[in-house]
Amino acid sequence: MITRPMIAAVLAATAAVASAAAGPLQVTSSILVESRTAAADGTTRIALVKPSKVTPGDKVIFVLSYRNTGAQPLANVVLDNPLPRQIAYRSANPGSPAPDVSVDGKTFGSLATLRVRSLDGSTRAAGPNDVTSVRWRLASPLAAGSQGQFAFQAVLK
Amino acid sequence: MHVKGVIRTLMAGTAAVVSIGIAAETASAQAPGPAGTAAGTTVTNTAQASYSVNGVQQSVASNAVSFVVDRKVNLTVTTNQPANTEVAIGQAAAVTTFRVTNNTNGTQDFVLTASQLPIQNLFAGDNFDVANVRVFVDSNTNGIYDPGVDTGTYIDELAADQSAVVFIVGDVPNVQSASLAGITLIAQVAAGGSATVQGTPLAPSVALNDDAVVDVVFADNDSDGLGLDIANNGQGRASLAYEITTRDVALTVAKTQIVISDPVSGLVAPKAIPGAVVQYCLTVSNGTLLTPANNVNLTDIVPANTTYQPGSIVIGVPGVQPICTVAGFIANDDGTPIAGTTFTGGYDSTARRVTATIPTLLGGTAVAASFRVTIN
Repeated sequence: MITRPMIAAVLAATAAVASAAAGPLQVTSSILVESRTAAADGTTRIALVKPSKVTPGDKVIFVLSYRNTGAQPLANVVLDNPLPRQIAYRSANPGSPAPDVSVDGKTFGSLATLRVRSLDGSTRAAGPNDVTSVRWRLASPLAAGSQGQFAFQAVLK
Repeated sequence: MHVKGVIRTLMAGTAAVVSIGIAAETASAQAPGPAGTAAGTTVTNTAQASYSVNGVQQSVASNAVSFVVDRKVNLTVTTNQPANTEVAIGQAAAVTTFRVTNNTNGTQDFVLTASQLPIQNLFAGDNFDVANVRVFVDSNTNGIYDPGVDTGTYIDELAADQSAVVFIVGDVPNVQSASLAGITLIAQVAAGGSATVQGTPLAPSVALNDDAVVDVVFADNDSDGLGLDIANNGQGRASLAYEITTRDVALTVAKTQIVISDPVSGLVAPKAIPGAVVQYCLTVSNGTLLTPANNVNLTDIVPANTTYQPGSIVIGVPGVQPICTVAGFIANDDGTPIAGTTFTGGYDSTARRVTATIPTLLGGTAVAASFRVTIN
């Protein structure tokens, strides 16, 4: 099967050099962990803090904040986050839209639509541990000055 | 561009197509073991964004954000032998075997100590301690303590998810009352990184340190459930026991003889003349109270110039001389079991040997066996 080349990537290669730093879209990546503290009323408060102590098996939350700092609306905004290889995807963070995920970095969709080929040639349904990349796309143009954020939960392998 | 079996969702902005993405599953050599990503690894995340302005596609990368993986200290200590070590009174260098597994996401040293603190409910009847206790690491990984070869006293540079065999060696005292000695191996996770140098025991990081620092987090469990070990202390322990199964007993054998009859005088004041019948009496005594002797074999060779009297072996409770046994059991010369008793006897005509077997001779008791011969 023949697919069309990614025009976006080709164009980016020429345009990004000049505009990457000063472009109208600013994307800020941050990593947070949950800090649980017992409150006076007996409940447990969960706060998101800097990842000072992270050990294997710990939950880590990746947050992508975006903002249109330019004067014109931005169309077709896509945020793509390849996962660091030490990180296993779990789910969208509560309050964040669910991302499309990919197990090969090329094909994105919901996890249920993805399959993984085993070493013996058979395929199986993909699980969260197979995810290598997550992606969000904004359905409507991002107006000048507006912003938002996406977040997903993962664990440190 | 050909993409096998993949229907790709195309440019940004097209309607999403339900796609079947098939990724090849690879046995990644970089995948961490059960202990997880190695401590000190820097995990860095960068997102990519693409968008269009006035129909012109552009892209931008986010900042790179990173953190350092901290040290999750965990270990497992288990016994590495199927049952307690069976020892004899006075045995030197008796060995118990353990296994220490490093579940930490990094290479660690392990400090090893042995404890003989009696453990309630674990070893009932713990009534002695072994002496000269030493702890050694199995240096040649053969699982067997080799004196002079396995000399390391701490585990040096054990990689994540690897394990080492550890021996506790001790001397059993020469005390008859000894029965059982529980012994516990305590392993403490220590700093790795310096080969042939015992690292200092790790302590958990208390303060919230900088992201760039490898903090120490204790994640070990309570390995004994008895209160001696607690969770998250960087220690693990396992217990075994030295069990006395072999003891020396003070066995003594006394032999007497008496002429029963002679062809001239009959039973009255018989003399040891040809044709006279002589009875030999062997009495075995176990002088060690409380300790039975097992499989006691009494053997005697029929003297030259005499003939064994078939069916004359009698085994039973010793009598008062000149009576050898009281209510003894008459043994079968062929060694077959005797009705009503576990004693057996036998006569080997080739070797001219009389045998009496006492399966269990209780401490402080005695058993006698007699047989008769005729003087040629």
